[in-house]
Amino acid sequence: MVATLRVLPFLVHMHVRSMMEYRGGMILGWVAMAFSYASVYTAIALIVLRFEQIGGWNWAEVALLLAFHLLGYSLGASFSFVQFRVMEDLVQRGNFDTLLVKPISPWAYIAFSGFNIGYVGHVVLAVGLMGWALSQTAVEWTLGLALYLLGALASSAMITAAILTMVGATALVWVRSRHLYWIYFGFWELARYPLNIFPAVIQAVMVTVMPLAFMSYVPVAVLLGKQVPLLGASAGPLALLAGPVTVLVAMAYWRFCMRNYQGAGG
Amino acid sequence: MQSIIKAEGVTKRFRQPKRYSGLAGSIKGLLSREFTEVRAVEDISFAIGAGEAVGYLGPNGAGKSTMIKMMTGILVPTNGSLAVLGRTPHAERMTNAREIGVVFGQRSQLWWDLPVRDSFDLHRRIYDIPERRYRDNLEHLCAMLGMDAYLDRPVRQLSLGQRMRAEIAMALLHDPKILFLDEPTIGLDVVAKDAVRKFLSEVNRERGVTIILTTHDLQDIEEICPRLIMVDDGKLLFDGELKRLRSALGARRRLTLDFATDPGPITLSTARLVSDDGASKHFLIENEETSLVDVLTELGNGHGLKDVALDEPDIEEVIRTFYQQRPVLVPQ
Repeated sequence: MVATLRVLPFLVHMHVRSMMEYRGGMILGWVAMAFSYASVYTAIALIVLRFEQIGGWNWAEVALLLAFHLLGYSLGASFSFVQFRVMEDLVQRGNFDTLLVKPISPWAYIAFSGFNIGYVGHVVLAVGLMGWALSQTAVEWTLGLALYLLGALASSAMITAAILTMVGATALVWVRSRHLYWIYFGFWELARYPLNIFPAVIQAVMVTVMPLAFMSYVPVAVLLGKQVPLLGASAGPLALLAGPVTVLVAMAYWRFCMRNYQGAGG
Repeated sequence: MQSIIKAEGVTKRFRQPKRYSGLAGSIKGLLSREFTEVRAVEDISFAIGAGEAVGYLGPNGAGKSTMIKMMTGILVPTNGSLAVLGRTPHAERMTNAREIGVVFGQRSQLWWDLPVRDSFDLHRRIYDIPERRYRDNLEHLCAMLGMDAYLDRPVRQLSLGQRMRAEIAMALLHDPKILFLDEPTIGLDVVAKDAVRKFLSEVNRERGVTIILTTHDLQDIEEICPRLIMVDDGKLLFDGELKRLRSALGARRRLTLDFATDPGPITLSTARLVSDDGASKHFLIENEETSLVDVLTELGNGHGLKDVALDEPDIEEVIRTFYQQRPVLVPQ
């Protein structure tokens, strides 16, 4: 276990060095991603500014929601998205087999050997937006609230990494799993808006089977002192618990898929 | 000799959704809950002792790679028992991994964009190899495989032969007791194949590493492995010394005699004529004791012999011949 923990930073180091072999492509990717987020946020800002509020949330509050969503996603996805998106290729080409003959957890190897430094841009954008949004809202800060924010952020990252891991793990059994990302990103888009604007069915799904409401809406609503549909007073602690619970579910699912791994032939 | 790998009645079946032909069949397949069972390995038993070099041979789809995957802990057998170094490989995958080395001929374990040395360094950390032992092993392996010249070059710039040498060296850095190689010479040119074979043979002889090798190439077996396990269609066909198989099948060497002009019908007691193209005649030498000299002596002078070619049977032919003579050869 200790030996594995010592290996993980070196895996990140190896990956960063590999990425640096293609600096131009990496920087272009960052620029493209920055434009993509800027255009989406501009569209949301225009809608909110035009109608002044969306579901009772003004632009500064929506900006805080977006910033939290982006930050939680970036932290979780840096350990999971790009890595587990190619899981079906790893399985199809038999490269997953090469991980199983090493004395290391294949999950840890995949997550850390693909640690995506490309998310630095997301983090910078999210922190900047969050700083501006918090300066525009009247949050009464206490040490407890600051710790709650950090805990909820960690929980948000865990939800992201856990769900993306589960989608990737599905490839161990079904070989193909990439299409499931469409479902995830469908709800991920919805999680950029206040939950109360959606029908009750979607609200229920987003606090249970696809718990992306806990990625940003629930913790930010708690921070801003807003009512959370379906959850009420338990929203605060549930936002902290959602991440660890999703991780436990993902761990069980990963083990199930590993037990049922058949390879893809050859 | 103490057994370090023991397979008893090992079977591996894959369950696959039933596939139907045509577009309508594809749509039917989406709705169907019928499955077919593919038997990749069927009731295979063998024991391998420490220090042996064993060739695991068979045509495509024979179940070679599946067996290697079960021995290395990648796949779980459906039935039977399998022990590697006294452990159940899939149940104790991580512990097992520390004592085995695995090389996949068609899958690289090296980091494509980084120098070979970096992959080795990562391997050192994963296997927790003490610094001194790592340096000694690296030095020794580099000398044996002539890798010094490209140790600091990115893997993507290496030839296939250089890469395969690096893959094998990496698999040996942690002093494994068993080295599994899945088609290590596939795609290599003659020179690279020769280097790999010589090295593996030396590793087995001098370092006492047990080698289990799957291949299509009979020459790999001849140069590295005194013992052969032959499989086809998931079943064990032969387990024994290569000498025994050759004494039974090696007789079927192909001899081609090319003459300046058609010498007319030729009948020999040392070789059986199988086809006659006039100036070019094809024989089978069916007795292993019969040498080319014996045949040429019997042929004698005066036929205007221009050229002679003697071909060893390739693996496909050996297996085909084996099938024909199977009842005689099945081990007792």
